Amino acid sequence: MTVDQDENGVPHPRETAELLGHEAAEAALLEAWNAGRVPHAWLISGPKGIGKATLAYRFARFVLAQGVGDSGALFGAPDPAGDLAVAPEDPVFRRVASGGHADLLTVERPLDASGRRKSEITVNEVRRLRGFFNLTAAESGHRVAIVDSADELNRNAANALLKILEEPPEKSLILLIAQAPEALLPTIRSRCRRLALRPLPSDLVIALLARHYPELLEAEGTALAQLAAGSPGRALGLAEAGGVAAYQDIVSLLAPLPRLDWGAVHGWADRLARRENDRIYALTLDLLALWLSRLLRSAASGRDGGEAVPGEFGLRGFVADRSGLRRWLDAAEEIAHGAALADALNLDRKQLLLNVVFALGRAAQAMPARAS
Amino acid sequence: MKLTIERAALLTALSHVQSVVERRNTIPILSNVQIEANAQGISLTATDLDLAVVERVAAKVAQEGTTTVPAHTFYEIVRKLPEGAEIQCVYPSGEQRLSLSAGRSEFSLACLPKEDFPVMTAGDFSHHFSIPAAELRRLIDKTRFAISTEETRYYLNGIYLHAGESGGIKVLRGVATDGHRLARVEMPLPDGAAGIPGAIVPRKTVTELRKLIDGVDDDVRISLSETRIRFTVGDALLTSKLIDGTFPDYERVIPSGNDKHMEVEGKAFAAAVDRVSTIATEKGRAVKLVLDRDRLVLSAMSPESGSATEEVPVSYSDGPLEIGFNSRYLIDITTQIEGESAHFAMNDAASPTVVRDGNDDSALYVLMPMRV
Repeated sequence: MTVDQDENGVPHPRETAELLGHEAAEAALLEAWNAGRVPHAWLISGPKGIGKATLAYRFARFVLAQGVGDSGALFGAPDPAGDLAVAPEDPVFRRVASGGHADLLTVERPLDASGRRKSEITVNEVRRLRGFFNLTAAESGHRVAIVDSADELNRNAANALLKILEEPPEKSLILLIAQAPEALLPTIRSRCRRLALRPLPSDLVIALLARHYPELLEAEGTALAQLAAGSPGRALGLAEAGGVAAYQDIVSLLAPLPRLDWGAVHGWADRLARRENDRIYALTLDLLALWLSRLLRSAASGRDGGEAVPGEFGLRGFVADRSGLRRWLDAAEEIAHGAALADALNLDRKQLLLNVVFALGRAAQAMPARAS
Repeated sequence: MKLTIERAALLTALSHVQSVVERRNTIPILSNVQIEANAQGISLTATDLDLAVVERVAAKVAQEGTTTVPAHTFYEIVRKLPEGAEIQCVYPSGEQRLSLSAGRSEFSLACLPKEDFPVMTAGDFSHHFSIPAAELRRLIDKTRFAISTEETRYYLNGIYLHAGESGGIKVLRGVATDGHRLARVEMPLPDGAAGIPGAIVPRKTVTELRKLIDGVDDDVRISLSETRIRFTVGDALLTSKLIDGTFPDYERVIPSGNDKHMEVEGKAFAAAVDRVSTIATEKGRAVKLVLDRDRLVLSAMSPESGSATEEVPVSYSDGPLEIGFNSRYLIDITTQIEGESAHFAMNDAASPTVVRDGNDDSALYVLMPMRV
């Protein structure tokens, strides 16, 4: 389960003009465009929240804005474009943001009858692409499709997409977004030009946070940047949802492992299990896994420092003990498995949280006594 | 925007445009109709991103302006207002609401900015010509039944409108085929239509256009470019994308050397085929025609339901022939025959048959036989 950016009030990438820190990727797109040799399909990959969709929409707007308004230059071709920016006041920008551009089609997980997103992109969604590309363009002549994201295509949908990638229509562009490109069909991958986005340096993420949340304390900003691991979208999502406080709760609660304050654990689980705490509950499951992975990584690397919140790696010396590592990994798996099940089966929330804490407790129990 | 308009006029225009708007829409702006008020009156625009309909209505406009409101809600409101009502619309620019009042009823409708609304109507067209609405109706009615619904051959999912030559006379042609049957209707080439790019007009556009020209006596002005087509019908404007494909060389499949000629009364023949085909199974639907000197025996057989035969008087003198057809296709074609007699030109049981309206050379149908 991950933090959904839409729910957290962060603007959707189709409404986001600015993209931070992916100059190299933008340059690759521009170079292909200016050379007049744009591959018809691109696979934009990278961790969640890093700006894949933002880049895809930026490129889509750029392409759709070409040739609108200018009717043949008198003195040769216009200068090659210097960047992908299309101003937010531009009509093309506005129509892309509202979903009202006739030459852009986005394929996403469809909504079910009750208005919730389905868990995967079905073949019917991908078939809309075929209908879209079978018709001519309404405006500039280019047609752009964005698949957000290719990770969510089910098998039939992926095969249907492959069909389209195999015989791309003229003046068309397909932008695939993927967090785990290696899990896609190799035949899809091989038909796309790859564009991998790298995590951003923390100072960029911190600067972005400071701009969106001027009231944010410096320590919080740093903590968010740490937790987001170079993903600005994730950092903004965490900031919006109060991620640092939730994370601090986890760290404080688990600090006394293996001797837990069970009263506090129950209070915490009760609070999160309430209906109105939907988001923070989902976030906490996510953060629990993050905490454990960060702790294990810190223990494995043996390097000091880098705590996102005070006391985060307090258990490090304890975890580093090799004999117990296996148990900790088991606990991590249990957390991930539990989160996935809870989502699918609507499990009792409190029980699920307690199970996670039990699992962590068991891992800690097996340790030799804590060096005091 | 500030205007007064008669309910009846608004209702007629709205009922035309709102039918384009899809009922289920996940993109809010696509559920809306655009209202543009200027000195001449108002223009209503609705689109589904594949085609757009604009209709002008006379109104007393006190202040110009443009906005968009939910199409179906707007239509329902206007429909439910009493006959003869005068409707006032006020939309202070920059506001989120359009207030609508008539008599003692007042409504406030949520608006979306006009900048978000799709643009389907801008841009240049290279060719313009006019044809009488009745001619266009005939072209559509006599070809649309043959439009393919098969998505793999998407270039057959429309009527192919193009300029051609028939016996040395330049003609405008509409052709539709699904690979089993073909319909070709032509009319003298109108001024301005020489050298038009061939356009495959999508089925959905054909349907909307047919609604728009129903009962119209005036000329319809057609504008064409490589990628779009526009029909101007009185105060209404229909702009559509085209199918982006190449229509097959259909002339190749129209046989010219068929030497077995049959004349039959169209209506009686269609009725007889209909009766006999009652027996034919859903899957097969085959009807057998056994021809001998001035005698035609229609028969159908089905292992489940039995058999049927009927004798039909014909004029035929070209030697015995047995040939089978899909009864549905045969009925579709013969119901297009308006004159007294239908003329069939056949070759053998495996070659395409040409059907013409006895006294009308401008419409031609080709039908592939079935093995029976």
